[in-house]
Amino acid sequence: MFRICQLLLLTFCLAIGSYARSSTGDSVLVILDPSLSKDNFSIFFKGLEEQGYELTFRAPKDVAPAIMQDDVASFAHVILFTPETKTYAKDITPQSLVDLLSKNTNVIFALGSKQTPLTSLAYEFSLILPPPGTPLISHFPERDTPATVIPIEVPSDHAALTSGLSPVWYSGVSFALGNNPLLVPFLNAPPESFAADTTEDSGADALVEAAEKGGEGLWAGKDMSVVTGFQTIDGGRALFVGGVELFSDEFAKKEVTKGVEAGNAQFARDVAAWTFQESLVLRVDSLMHHRVNETTPRDQYTTNDRVVYTTHISKYNPKLNAWEPYSGIQDMQLEFTMLDPHIRTALPPVPGSPGTYSVEFRVPDRHGVFKFVVNYKRKGWTHLHSSTTVPVVPPRHDEYPRFLSAAWPYYIGAISTSAGFVLFSALWLAGDDRDLKKKKTAKATE
Amino acid sequence: MHLSTLLLPLAAAAAVHASALTVQNARVTVSSDATQLLTEQLSLDGTLPSLSLGPTDTLKLTFQVAEKDGGKGVQPHQTFLRFESGGEEGVQPVRVTAGGKAKFELNMAKPPSSLPPTTTEPVKVQLLLGSFKHSPSKFDLFELTVPASAPPAQHPDEASFHPLPPIEHTFRPEQKVPPKFVSAVFSALVVAPWVVLLGLWSTLQYRVPHLFSPHILPFTSSLAAFEALLLWYWVDLKLGQVLLYGAILGVVTAVTGKQALGAAGDWRLGKR
Repeated sequence: MFRICQLLLLTFCLAIGSYARSSTGDSVLVILDPSLSKDNFSIFFKGLEEQGYELTFRAPKDVAPAIMQDDVASFAHVILFTPETKTYAKDITPQSLVDLLSKNTNVIFALGSKQTPLTSLAYEFSLILPPPGTPLISHFPERDTPATVIPIEVPSDHAALTSGLSPVWYSGVSFALGNNPLLVPFLNAPPESFAADTTEDSGADALVEAAEKGGEGLWAGKDMSVVTGFQTIDGGRALFVGGVELFSDEFAKKEVTKGVEAGNAQFARDVAAWTFQESLVLRVDSLMHHRVNETTPRDQYTTNDRVVYTTHISKYNPKLNAWEPYSGIQDMQLEFTMLDPHIRTALPPVPGSPGTYSVEFRVPDRHGVFKFVVNYKRKGWTHLHSSTTVPVVPPRHDEYPRFLSAAWPYYIGAISTSAGFVLFSALWLAGDDRDLKKKKTAKATE
Repeated sequence: MHLSTLLLPLAAAAAVHASALTVQNARVTVSSDATQLLTEQLSLDGTLPSLSLGPTDTLKLTFQVAEKDGGKGVQPHQTFLRFESGGEEGVQPVRVTAGGKAKFELNMAKPPSSLPPTTTEPVKVQLLLGSFKHSPSKFDLFELTVPASAPPAQHPDEASFHPLPPIEHTFRPEQKVPPKFVSAVFSALVVAPWVVLLGLWSTLQYRVPHLFSPHILPFTSSLAAFEALLLWYWVDLKLGQVLLYGAILGVVTAVTGKQALGAAGDWRLGKR
């Protein structure tokens, strides 16, 4: 009885521990190529379902369920495992997919070496794909899988990936990255790899000619990426993977070296967690501004005021499905802007108060309509934007410095005028010189 | 996906690799305008010669790719030169004949697009040999110092993804106030007439018999109160408040003033 209780408790704890929900919703639409079978990706899909997502499967040419209905996204996330589909149903067009991303829906795109509408869409995201039919191959390290199945080391210091992952098996294309700062590379190709369509040593001449032809040259080296994310400004995240086999069961169960299982399953879960807005998700909870010794915000400030600006930032915790205050941002900045930033200061976290960031500064001595602007964008994290408009007026007639030392003579003059008037009136009313006059006239008449 | 299924039987056939590849007779020459500056035989045993190229120099690299045991020249699938400098990388395929002879020329006047953006750090040059039939191998060839190039172009928005330089507003300087001593001197000048007045008055014999009379005192006190109200307005009050208090005080002053002047007139008449 005791052992059964222990077992139940253990499974309960495990279930809670592996539960990780997205911050934007649980419904996922998976669009699978008809040539791919759902069972080949069972580890990935079952992993998602265990975390609490609801998966709906459909083929690219199916009309229902549509990704958008009446301009509202029907699902919170979309997975497109369609590396070879050239025609889709009416609701999936490059335009509608970009629309989805701007509606805060997250999308995973799986590309392949065939030219499809998705490969042309990838150009819009600053990804430069190799010519069709040139998958990524690598002769290093020496192994008994074909040259197109490559083990790739996972970077150990990436903010969104679990550290210490074993290498992942990969098969597909690589793409060159443009210098768009919205791209978030997750996995780059190994430095000895390159894209080629030849399968024998005699294809070496073709390789050299492809490089000499000019243009982008050869897709080779460690600057080519195989898994890249894209953080849109509106919040939706996209993921581009050069080959769908990364998610397959066959690669997840393959051994990288003797006795070491590949990291495919965990890598796929981490990368899907980032795309579905579970990890590295921030939001602004509230913000406040007020003068230094007050607590309520004013609807206008005076030039040269000392003002305190406070904001509360939360980070999403996928394990608890809750937003928790987050004090880990060390380089947030506040801008006090009227057309151009007049003041840009650091907005440091307040020690002892989790999630609070506060700064005190002096309002510039120009009057006008200013904005408190917080614009925090970093690679891999959601963007934080907040803008609060506040008028700044010059001092009122009675807010200038008073009782200056230069005005002492004037104060003294005015006060002495008043004093003189009161004194004179009092003396005039109070005085009486009739007795003296009487004595004088009496003396004079005597 | 289909390509990998195609290659599977091929790979199974080549599972037993024939042999490793090796590089023989690796020679590098640096020349400037047809005059040879430097020629070196690369030993590929770990010691890396450091070469440097000027803006118009040319580097020629020749070597032969052969099987390790047997010595037969082969043309591998992948013969790449990899340039690496401070995180930037460039890959250049090298043309190899069927007999394994390879030649590469680098002219700094027209550098290849595979040469990465360089700083003053030297470029490490590596040779990668890969083949479907042989084991792969890589060799570190030499270190090359080339003139620094322009840094890679950055996206115009890139700066906003990092902390921006702080901006501080330069305020107008505080208004300067003249020294207090000067103000004190002039205040003394203003007070000076009072000194004269009080001094001269002290020589008079002036009697104020009615000062505390009940007819006069209220009036003089309301006059004093008016001055006090003015002082209070100067320090603290707002216009509306001072007008209100002033109106009340004005009524009081008018009443007491009538009384006081009436009393003064009576005394003038009564005493007479």
